[in-house]
Amino acid sequence: MPMPVIKFTNVSKDFYLQEDKTFKELIPSLILGKAWAKKLRVFSDLNFAITKGETVAIVGKNGAGKSTIMKLIAGVTYPTKGKILVKEKVAPLIELGAGFHHELTGYENIFLNAAILGMHKKEIELILEDIIEFSELGDFINIPIKRYSTGMMMRLAFSIAIHSIAPILLIDEVLAVGDAAFAKKCLQRMQEFKKDKKKTIIFVSHSQKDVEFLCERAILLQEGKITIDSTPKKVFAKYQQDENI
Amino acid sequence: MKYLKDLLRPFSQHKYLLYQLTQREIKARYKQSIVGYAWVLLNPLAQMAIYVFVFSVIFRFPTNNIPYPVYLFAALLPWTTLQVSINTATQSLVDNASLLKKVAFPREIIPYSVILAKLVDFCFSLIVFAFLLLFFRVSLASTAILFLPLFILQILLSTGISLLLTAFNLFFRDIQYLANLLLMMWMYLTPVVYPMSLVPAKYVNFYKLNPMVGIVEGYRSALFGNPFEWSIIAWSTFCSIFIFLLGFLVFKKLEKYFADIV
Repeated sequence: MPMPVIKFTNVSKDFYLQEDKTFKELIPSLILGKAWAKKLRVFSDLNFAITKGETVAIVGKNGAGKSTIMKLIAGVTYPTKGKILVKEKVAPLIELGAGFHHELTGYENIFLNAAILGMHKKEIELILEDIIEFSELGDFINIPIKRYSTGMMMRLAFSIAIHSIAPILLIDEVLAVGDAAFAKKCLQRMQEFKKDKKKTIIFVSHSQKDVEFLCERAILLQEGKITIDSTPKKVFAKYQQDENI
Repeated sequence: MKYLKDLLRPFSQHKYLLYQLTQREIKARYKQSIVGYAWVLLNPLAQMAIYVFVFSVIFRFPTNNIPYPVYLFAALLPWTTLQVSINTATQSLVDNASLLKKVAFPREIIPYSVILAKLVDFCFSLIVFAFLLLFFRVSLASTAILFLPLFILQILLSTGISLLLTAFNLFFRDIQYLANLLLMMWMYLTPVVYPMSLVPAKYVNFYKLNPMVGIVEGYRSALFGNPFEWSIIAWSTFCSIFIFLLGFLVFKKLEKYFADIV
């Protein structure tokens, strides 16, 4: 039994929903002694383990908690109960705009974004050429990214994440944004990772085709629980049956 | 020991990220303006023009034979740094909400990067001060070097306040408006545009509770060779360190919830 790189043990997660973020709501609730935020349980007693080199898809309806799992793995949020073990460095694919600055050029943004992913200058310089080449941006790399199309920005973001040195890669339904050819290229690149078993990929997607192409395993989240953890084919069969798609 | 490590982590393990975010702050701000970085010089000059007109033409303050523009700038430049640091840092976490939700790194790096960028601005604005000194033929006292430790106190104080405000601002957006208002009031309760000697004697002890009084008075004492009032500087030192540590601890306690509530 190989050692897991990611392990969830009895993980529960509650969110506190604050309705509006001004004092207008806080002060009356303090005086009346009411709770100023509502509790919402996303999931309870989640158990699963992912071993090194696996490519796992997380499937479920909107709001099922897929992104919350990603956040828990990335370490930006913490479980209300239970334990999460993440043994290696994580590189999330940062959504458009988050790790970028529109006034800076693509080239400058590579350094900014890669630094956010936890890389140092020397490490970035080593992969710089590969990032630019993979992104197919050519001379556009030297102009501010506010002039980029959504697809171009996506290509750059993806190219940085995929070249990062972090062994765990989190891909959160983003392939839909790029054009079909680039999406295919990304999937192929991730396929290559699988061969040398160096990267562990967690993949959130609604596309059965992409999941089946890339992943050997899928997890279905329904109403805060894992209802099936199996091959993508079986998981999608159950998903479609239950949700009447 | 653990806290000391936490305190230093942004400057050791994450120093490249801190550097990149600071650079983004500096580069991006002026990229689409015509005069660009010159705003760093134009801003204090414009402010000075107003204050000089009001306070040396209309009112006249006793400034110990130091030309009012020089007297003003010795306090106004660092004060502006404090003000813009706190203002921008307060908004910084909200502005970077999408990062908070995606990537894990010590969150204080975000407000730190903003404050560092403002310190770079401060260094450039010193050029204006140097020209003023030449123009009015004022030479600095030999104690001028003491400006530096006082300025470090100011940085600690403003960082502590920034950490508190930016964390609270994630929970309640009122904080950023409140910060603006309080900063304006704070400035008039600090001897920036007027000398402390004008504060009525019966209020002066109360007035000196403001930790920026000791720092700002200290700047002038250091630069122009006036005697230091050590008791209020000691009070400022205590307040600055205390507020910084408090801000840091509260920030670190709240940090875990940032991604959930943003």
